[in-house]
Amino acid sequence: MSTLTLREAPPERLDLGGLHPAALAGLSETEVARLPVGTSRRGLTLGDCFKVSLDGSDELRIVGATERLDRVGAGLGAGRIVVEGDVGQRLGAGMRGGSLTVSGSAGPFAGTAARGGTIRIAGDAAESAGGAVHGAQAGLDGATLLIGGVAGDRLGNRMRAGLIVAKRAGTHAGARMIAGTIVAEEIGDHPGYGMRRGTLIAARHGALLPTFAETGRQDLVVLRLLARSLEGLSPEAAALLRARQRRYSGDLATLGKGELFTPAG
Amino acid sequence: MTAWIDGQAADRNEAVAAAAALLAGARSPLIAGLCAEVAAVQAAFDLARAIGASLDPAAGAALYDDLGALAAGGAMTTTPAEARGRADLVLALGRAPWESGLMRDLAAEGPGRGRAAGRPRALLSLGGPGDGAIQHVAYPVDEAGLPAAVGLLRGLVAGRIAGTHPLADLSVRLREALYGVVLYDPAETGALGAEMLNGLVKDLNESTRCFALPLGDPHQGRAVAQVSAWSTGQGPRVGFGRGTPEHDPWRFDAQRQVAAGEVDAALWLASLPAPLPAWTRTLPTVALLGTPKGGEIGGDAARIVIGVGVPGEAFGAALWHPRRAAIAWQDPAPGAEPQALPPAAAILADLLARLTAPATGGPASPPAARSADEPTAQPESPASC
Repeated sequence: MSTLTLREAPPERLDLGGLHPAALAGLSETEVARLPVGTSRRGLTLGDCFKVSLDGSDELRIVGATERLDRVGAGLGAGRIVVEGDVGQRLGAGMRGGSLTVSGSAGPFAGTAARGGTIRIAGDAAESAGGAVHGAQAGLDGATLLIGGVAGDRLGNRMRAGLIVAKRAGTHAGARMIAGTIVAEEIGDHPGYGMRRGTLIAARHGALLPTFAETGRQDLVVLRLLARSLEGLSPEAAALLRARQRRYSGDLATLGKGELFTPAG
Repeated sequence: MTAWIDGQAADRNEAVAAAAALLAGARSPLIAGLCAEVAAVQAAFDLARAIGASLDPAAGAALYDDLGALAAGGAMTTTPAEARGRADLVLALGRAPWESGLMRDLAAEGPGRGRAAGRPRALLSLGGPGDGAIQHVAYPVDEAGLPAAVGLLRGLVAGRIAGTHPLADLSVRLREALYGVVLYDPAETGALGAEMLNGLVKDLNESTRCFALPLGDPHQGRAVAQVSAWSTGQGPRVGFGRGTPEHDPWRFDAQRQVAAGEVDAALWLASLPAPLPAWTRTLPTVALLGTPKGGEIGGDAARIVIGVGVPGEAFGAALWHPRRAAIAWQDPAPGAEPQALPPAAAILADLLARLTAPATGGPASPPAARSADEPTAQPESPASC
């Protein structure tokens, strides 16, 4: 297992995009230490900030991580990245495959535009986890994003495909969704604002928009299939899906082909 | 008095030298405010490029509510002048339009041009306080708030929501108008609400004409967005830390950067009035503050304060013209003494020359001589983490 150990709190935000096992495979430790990661005119390199230890394996550990590390695992195609600590914005941005695990919390836009692979955040995620960045076509785009703690506002903002599971989420979860699935124990006010398609499932939710219409109580086979597929990832989420559900259709402000399920207590 | 260092009156030249020294060694300098004439904003972008600074206008937050919606889905917009000439229906969203003065102008006359010429102009309010002196029809917004109401209206207009509803009548009026205008303040609707109303406007254009009209901010934000577009091709929250302009509205949000301790020196540019953030007194900051004729500015606003002329008062300048929704030239006030205080652009050019001068201590080279993409002001200390 290769390891990057942060020596001290970085004096500026660092951009770790593109640093993944396959990209480091053909390089020596000296070459890797020379890779630019700084975002100021000081031109910081990886070796300025991290102790580098490589063994050519497809697993990379980042130790002592802080919220100043941006784009950790961005573009990951295969292999495994394990982060001990927190990360900054755009965790796993544009990721295509493999697995990315964070023991702490993540900054905004975790999993943005990620097309494949699995991202696990043990702690919280800031706003727009699985959401689109300014002007982007889509947020999460096929990958799986699991948030053990609380997600901020606009969870899955403009996501296009894939699955997000979180314990709790703030307001406007699933805003502007194009498609995909979000499962959470609790979501805040006005979920699904402007969503076109996609599925939101929550045991509890805040105020609903006037543009969501109740369409009855349902016992859908697709939810049981989804429950089965979630069993290995999140047993709590799977259990939530097995309850009989009340369904709301929305957002009728836009296309209105999205849906919100909540257990019919 | 026109310049201060540490609260003590100083010679302007000394203050500029001290400002250059303050910025020269900075790792992640910030240039904020940008509430100024176009020449000064342009000079601020040039300086940022040379010293690897990031930029954020005072108008940043509200501006990005609108720019985000624009970048996400586009917008069909009009100008105040076109609205006055052509609109037979104006829908004011929320409070801000009633505080702008534009509603009174719109109430004063009907459309005189275009397909709605000669028709009466209907003024409608959705969730606004109204104005007793202006005849209008008021539609309430319930506790769900303005963005939810805009979404509901969009669903009604498109026929996806049917049945009796308090806003159903408003949706019919919008569909029947020949030239509708939706007036709003992005700071009030938020990014999601702004995007929704742009969608509403686009839906209406399937069968009639309708346009969004965002109220400009009072801090030159719209002009800064244009300067940034022609200087960097992107929005104004850009950083030049890596030489080329990187656009990142989250990372270069000045408030966030300062709160996170990511900025080690700053320049606050406000040749026009803008609320001074608290950090100008806590972070090593150079403040260029417009000083109106006969007025005074505080020398304690920042570590280094340099008074500059007020554009459009002390000297002619290109400024945002709210009525025309464009950058326009504004002549100086009659009797202005142009040399009383320098324009901010001159101070910024002086700073640029000092900061890009050869390290040998020789005379400053003209800024035009340097390569546009190379940060030429080198850090003093070697790279270390």
